[in-house]
Amino acid sequence: METVPNESGAWNHTYNLASGQTQKHELSETRFWVTLLDNEWQVRWERNAGETDRTEWRQQVSHVLPGSEVKQHRFIRPDEDGDLLFMPAMADRPTMIRPYQPLTIPAGRECTIYVATLVWLRILVGRTRTQLMELPLAEPSLTWVGRTTMDGELCYTAPTYARLVLDAVPKRPWRAISPVRICNRRQEPLLLERFSLPTPSLPLYRNERDQLWTPQVTVVCETEMAQASLRVARRLPAEAGECEKLAEARSWHDRGVLTKALDRIFG
Amino acid sequence: MDDIGGALAAELGSIDWGAWLRVVVLLALGFVLATAASRGMARLLGSRSSRHVTVLFGRVVFYAIFVIFIIAALREAGFAPDVLLGAAGILTVAIGFASQTSASNMISGLFLLVEKPFEIGNFIEVDGTIGEVIGIDMLSVKLRTADNLYVRIPNETLIKTRVINRSRFPIRRLDLTVGIAYREDIRRVQQLLLSLAEESTVCLEEPKPFVLTTAFGPSSVDLQFSFWVPADKVLEGRSTMMEAVKALLDREQVEIPFPHTSVYAGSASQPFRIELIRDDNRQEVTDDER
Repeated sequence: METVPNESGAWNHTYNLASGQTQKHELSETRFWVTLLDNEWQVRWERNAGETDRTEWRQQVSHVLPGSEVKQHRFIRPDEDGDLLFMPAMADRPTMIRPYQPLTIPAGRECTIYVATLVWLRILVGRTRTQLMELPLAEPSLTWVGRTTMDGELCYTAPTYARLVLDAVPKRPWRAISPVRICNRRQEPLLLERFSLPTPSLPLYRNERDQLWTPQVTVVCETEMAQASLRVARRLPAEAGECEKLAEARSWHDRGVLTKALDRIFG
Repeated sequence: MDDIGGALAAELGSIDWGAWLRVVVLLALGFVLATAASRGMARLLGSRSSRHVTVLFGRVVFYAIFVIFIIAALREAGFAPDVLLGAAGILTVAIGFASQTSASNMISGLFLLVEKPFEIGNFIEVDGTIGEVIGIDMLSVKLRTADNLYVRIPNETLIKTRVINRSRFPIRRLDLTVGIAYREDIRRVQQLLLSLAEESTVCLEEPKPFVLTTAFGPSSVDLQFSFWVPADKVLEGRSTMMEAVKALLDREQVEIPFPHTSVYAGSASQPFRIELIRDDNRQEVTDDER
């Protein structure tokens, strides 16, 4: 059987497989294969932490399967349709953004930093768009955010350059860009060492250049860091351009309204 | 014979069978209603609260309803509640002496429910037994150990002894002891271990991992490598990290010494003088053998 040459993969794009065909994807540090058989779907995946410099999402359809050492999961076909769709989703826990070098915001000033967080991949199949599984596109690291080891919550961690210029942010298909506006309304400078981005509360959009975006998050620090408040905008920032919504927020609370004081925003 | 039969018939005839039937019906109805209400409460709370709270409220509802029906049944059977309460005072003393252990366990059970040192679903350690709490009952707590044994521990024991709750907090610190040879550079090994923690996805970035030098052991310098993991990844974290430490130290050619004993000749620690003495006879034998 002929092999379809390498092409770019895409979110929210319907691929169609015939029985016996396998579609191989390479993005981020993840490789995965989706196979359609007469009565089942099979998904295989593997990770290679060394392959992080890939910038494109490559996909290829063939009849070639990886070796048996690759993790495999089988699913009963929900219907006769061979449609295959990939949708992104934001992280299922808050993500701790930690600039490589601490950033100081003078008293009464504000800034917008652009952070790119890892997205999860959802595999949907058939006419009914049944979700087979969901997996992060790289192995996320965890961290603890809280005043003590008794009181707090587990978060994913995302070391970042805390870029203040959008053009400097690398645009990759497995990263969602979130503008974070930080307002320091205190009388003292604010040393930004890390803060918790509420990724489960953010919906996900795609613009015309196939970039993933979330609405802007505003963090206002009025008195002390432990009393900072957080707001998720209802609209996308102008720099994102024309966008279509790909995924709703995982949790709806805290969205669009000024939340109560969150003592865990700045850890 | 006829007299006995007649007396028995008269006795049976004097019993108010209707009242006893009502007692049985009340008890049965009470049991059914209490069970249904308890299940309803469990369903209501199931998705909103922990298993511990669900079970606790289910039991409270069951006993509250069932006791009301028992009192009603006793009244129907002709027992006056005030007399019963008076008798209960005397009975309590008698029963108290007869069943000290049970009463102690029941009261301890109440303290356990109120104090909540652990909940259903937690992993606890009691007197060297580690297991998941699968029930907190009137007299005892039931555990399921990791090797799937059912362990029943009296409530009184749990009140008296030291209980370690291993899943109270969401994160745990693991302390691994790593022994390295005396000739190794301790600072270098510390840096290697910290970089390993940084690369591991199980190990939390915060609180920060650390390495301490804890002892000059008989055959090694002992280091304590401490890092934090999510509470549900303790076993995985310990095992994968120990394998990674071994692989890393092998790769970096850092010796992990096994216990050994050195014998010194004296304070100057001069090496033994070894002299090879030619044994002609032995040589001949050896040649013959050859």
